[in-house]
Amino acid sequence: MEVHREDKKADDFGRAVSRMAVAQICETLGFHGFKESALDALTDVAIRYLLDLGKTASTHANLSGRTQCNLFDIVRGFEDMGAPRGFSGASSSGNCVVSSGTIKEIIEFVGSTDEIPFAQPVPPFPVVRDKRLIPSFLNMSETPPGKHIPPWLPAFPDPHTYIRTPMWNERVVDPRAEQIEQARQRRKAERALLSLQQRLVSNGSAEASSSEANNDNVKELGVPESNPFLSTPLKPGEKDVSAVVLPDKLKNNACLMEAFAPAIEAAKEGDLAESEDRERRLLPEKRPAVIFKFKTGKKLLGEPLDLSLSRKGGGRVGHWLGRDEERDDKKRRAEYILRHSMENPHELTQL
Amino acid sequence: MNHTNNPQQPNDARHDDDAALTEFLSSLMDYTPTIPDELVEHYLAKSGFQCPDVRLVRLVAVATQKFVAEVASDALQQCRARQSTVVKDKREKQQKDKRPILTMEDLSKALRDYGVNVKHQEYFADSPSTGMDPASRDE
Repeated sequence: MEVHREDKKADDFGRAVSRMAVAQICETLGFHGFKESALDALTDVAIRYLLDLGKTASTHANLSGRTQCNLFDIVRGFEDMGAPRGFSGASSSGNCVVSSGTIKEIIEFVGSTDEIPFAQPVPPFPVVRDKRLIPSFLNMSETPPGKHIPPWLPAFPDPHTYIRTPMWNERVVDPRAEQIEQARQRRKAERALLSLQQRLVSNGSAEASSSEANNDNVKELGVPESNPFLSTPLKPGEKDVSAVVLPDKLKNNACLMEAFAPAIEAAKEGDLAESEDRERRLLPEKRPAVIFKFKTGKKLLGEPLDLSLSRKGGGRVGHWLGRDEERDDKKRRAEYILRHSMENPHELTQL
Repeated sequence: MNHTNNPQQPNDARHDDDAALTEFLSSLMDYTPTIPDELVEHYLAKSGFQCPDVRLVRLVAVATQKFVAEVASDALQQCRARQSTVVKDKREKQQKDKRPILTMEDLSKALRDYGVNVKHQEYFADSPSTGMDPASRDE
């Protein structure tokens, strides 16, 4: 039986029922047991016989121009199915189906065998669930939208489900306003950055001013004590330090880099002249010098950086650091090396 | 029904067949074949067969039952024949092998007469000697 995979599954019930029926028939004949495969094979053959018989009978009906089968189609089907084995009267030319040998054999069989009904009641199958059809125009008591649509066809769904509606872009895009908004946001981020800077500086300035007194010691020792980060740590409780409170603006900024980026960009563009003024105003005149201490095994061009910087004078240092925010370390270092080499020309020979 | 005059066949004989067939069909109304009507209806509908008459469905059911019974009885004969040869060899196994069991071997032999070529796999578990314990099989 050629069936598809899903048909096979759907046919499971019919197969099981026919299996039981075949098993019952075999039992009445005197079999005491089965091999599973043999029973399956015999079931397959029985189902195939039924299907072939039905097909042959309906073919005979169709040949006679009918759709419904009658007794004679079935008897013809019997004859066709019994042809390989032969039946009584097959050779005779009088082919009256009423007196066919096959039907006589069946009558004989029914008379000779006991009536053994199927062991269990079988419900009509396959169970066809009542399909929920889409109501037609007639059922909905609607008139079809077009004359070409007959009213017995399924009705259309609600118009809002298929009617095309234009899509409006609610947002009015004004490039000028957008630009202004962008500039505003950039300035906002910048302000936040500056206030952060200011706060950090004001926190550190107290330390810086205290170390201002012994500035002379710094020169002597060569130890950058003016840098609060390098001084010996205070013991907890020795000094009251105000807790660092982040401004609200900064809290909104997820990333510091994001906050920096527009400021740098703005500084590069130089369109914010007034912001530079503000920057100078906001930043204190005196800032703790950022001093690098090189701990190197090899001699790095004579004196360490901090000494030379302090020799230049505090005002210059402050100005240098305050002004050239955008200069990176590399630039500074290159400048320093250049200046140093000019001051100590005799050391160049060592290089 | 075929009522055309047939010179080869006498009319009364045909009438007898006619009457017998009608009687048989009406008797099928009370007859319950082993194959349930629902099963037959399902498979007939699947093959394109349309008939509202329960008697014809029963007729098909009976025919199928007859076919299966014939095949099974042939298989039973094969089984008996095989067992008788085995029993000839081993008298002591007589009691054990008495119960006939439908096997693929017998079934394929029986079906060959009906035009069905069963080519069953030679599974070890399906061979007739599967049920025996290995010691007795080696004898």
